[in-house]
Amino acid sequence: MTNPDFDAIVVGSGITGGMAAKQLTEAGLKVLMLERGRPIEHGDYPTEMKAPWEMPFRGEGDAELYARDYPVQRLNRHFTEFTQNHFVNDVESPYQQGEGAFTWFRSYQLGGRSLTWGRQCYRWSDYDFGANQRDGHGTDWPIRYADLAPWYDKAEDFVGVSGAKEELAQLPDGQFQPPMALNIVEQTVRERILKQWPDRRLTVGRTANLTQGKPELGRGPCQYRNICMRGCSFGAYFSTQSSTLPAAQATGRLTVITDAQVEKLDYDPATRRITGVRWVDTKTRARKSATARLVFLNAGSFNSVHILLNSASEAMPHGLANASGVLGTHIMDHANTLSAAAIMPGFEQHTSFGNRPTGIVIPRFRNLDTLDGEGFTRGYSFQGGALQSTWTQGTREGGIGVAYKDHLRAPGPWRMVLVVFAESVPRASNRLALSKVLDPLGVPQLEINFSHGKEELAALADAKKEAAAMLTAAGGQVIFGFDHPGPGGTAIHEMGGARMGHDPASSVLNKWSQAHDIANLFVTDGAQMSSSACQNPSLTYMALTMRAADYAVTQMKQGVI
Amino acid sequence: MTEQAWNRRTFLGAATALAAALGVSPARLLAGLPASEAPTARHSALLREVSQLVIPRTDTAGAGDVGTGAFVSLALAHGLKDTRAPIKDAPAGWPLRADGSLRHDLWLERTLDQRAGGDFLARPPAQRHALLAALDAEAFPAGPPPAVPSPWRAIKALILTGYYTSEEGGSKELRYEAVPGRWDPDIALHKGDRAFSSDWTAVDFG
Repeated sequence: MTNPDFDAIVVGSGITGGMAAKQLTEAGLKVLMLERGRPIEHGDYPTEMKAPWEMPFRGEGDAELYARDYPVQRLNRHFTEFTQNHFVNDVESPYQQGEGAFTWFRSYQLGGRSLTWGRQCYRWSDYDFGANQRDGHGTDWPIRYADLAPWYDKAEDFVGVSGAKEELAQLPDGQFQPPMALNIVEQTVRERILKQWPDRRLTVGRTANLTQGKPELGRGPCQYRNICMRGCSFGAYFSTQSSTLPAAQATGRLTVITDAQVEKLDYDPATRRITGVRWVDTKTRARKSATARLVFLNAGSFNSVHILLNSASEAMPHGLANASGVLGTHIMDHANTLSAAAIMPGFEQHTSFGNRPTGIVIPRFRNLDTLDGEGFTRGYSFQGGALQSTWTQGTREGGIGVAYKDHLRAPGPWRMVLVVFAESVPRASNRLALSKVLDPLGVPQLEINFSHGKEELAALADAKKEAAAMLTAAGGQVIFGFDHPGPGGTAIHEMGGARMGHDPASSVLNKWSQAHDIANLFVTDGAQMSSSACQNPSLTYMALTMRAADYAVTQMKQGVI
Repeated sequence: MTEQAWNRRTFLGAATALAAALGVSPARLLAGLPASEAPTARHSALLREVSQLVIPRTDTAGAGDVGTGAFVSLALAHGLKDTRAPIKDAPAGWPLRADGSLRHDLWLERTLDQRAGGDFLARPPAQRHALLAALDAEAFPAGPPPAVPSPWRAIKALILTGYYTSEEGGSKELRYEAVPGRWDPDIALHKGDRAFSSDWTAVDFG
């Protein structure tokens, strides 16, 4: 290619797009970042400092508007009047549900879901990278923990992850900032569980909220508000805006174009390379394009697959980088539900101050060295925490008048909840396809086919039983629990569709997140995942992105790409 | 997901919509309700009084004092707490909209007047309290909730929401810390300490 417009084009500006742009620009490349949504400047968070009484619907939001324009997004617990500006309008950005339901929670804006993510950062272990090989589901990962460990170090160091070291093989320790403390109930539950089950270690959530500021990056420490998803002008949690975008922009080599919905990649069969990227200006509907030596797809798992499917050509009739035919297949999302909620008596004289922006985690204890799960071979872990009720408990209680008001004035009883995330088994039948229905810009919509299987249901049944057993042993009174997962998408951990593997005949990407068929195409968001583990995946996406960027730059400098 | 719907929204992006919404006062929203949903003077008076009966004035203002009645009117018209969802197997006589959803304000007015044997608002304060307390007790029976929950449960939830998200309810009756700045994981709770309306997780999980 003669004189491409850019050294690299990064499609997407979320957690991995931002990281790719940072790594590539810092390595000296001239980079174009394309974002389909609107621009958001760091600090331009109009609801961040608002009190409920300053909001037209008191923070609850206009249910009439939500029913009309946000019928899917409104199902997300974190979608409120304070955060609605950080989620897509479902009418403007439709998708099709094929077999099985899938609630697809999305944020189309500069920063993507880095503004709205749950911030939990967990390393995967060799139990995870070896899972497919062990039980035969999916295809074997071409990497192991040792390949990624140094990149986890770099990612955590830059992101700023607070957490406690626990020396667990299934949840490796990392480069942590000081942990946020457990509250008194959680600390007690930790000790009581350990007494009965020495292999079950309740620990505070490892979270991308700074306990120590990074003034050199313009980031302050957490203020314990726990309203992260409105946007944080303190820069205390990791987002594109607070972290990767300033770093990339500081190089002077980054160009950002927003309101640019990528439609397809151009492929040259003669050179077997991507030559450029085509997009639609969502404001003017003009079709535009740019050329580059290298393309990183970071549009968000399903949207990266969508672009590849929509980039079919005469040379690649079933979609770009799809010689294997597995593109779009084996998508996953953790099976997720509330396993147990319990009243925790005995702490009536205790309270806490501040809003900790993370909960607790009980790392996986099933199917480690021994296959001890009944009907499932993968893992699950719990997240949750202990909290004291406030006024909303009154909505479930009888009573009116002065005594009732006085009752609601005091902090309510301590409760503890355990929410399960169970590993999603990669299945060919869970797949993405191009729909014949077009979106408002004339692009074929994505069709999602997804159902949880019997393994996930078995894991959730076990999780309900074990959650109740642990909270009961810890002195709690379990009041309810569920063992049926929400629809696909509930965990907001959708991944897969362009899986990594050893064999070009059965996978889309090689061990460098690089397309088997196309040397200058990298997919480093969740689409590359071959299995789902039961940990929150974003940290792994970031480590894989840093590793892939390093490899791509080296290959480029050697003239291979 | 129609082409027409898209056209309607193209000129009003999410950011613009939010900026516009933040500039709109609840009073203007209330005034903007269609005539069929706008509260009558009597409905407004009734919702104010009922709010005040649930959360009366003590050393802080009551719910009626801080405009909770108006919030409930707005919330019911816009369907907060699923109040615009069609009701299956509604008992005969419930005032339903054409779409099968319940006019909660009309239901409350009729129910209270019926129980009062006339104008509920004309009854002495102690009797109004007793009548509402009886309605409330029936709506929260011991044991599992009935198949068709009493509409009072949603109205009461909106009254609590209106009050504890008001400045008086949220920051004087309860405590509101916009920027705690620190995390104390274990401190003593003293008698008379007030809960935080800014503990968002607690608000969420109750």
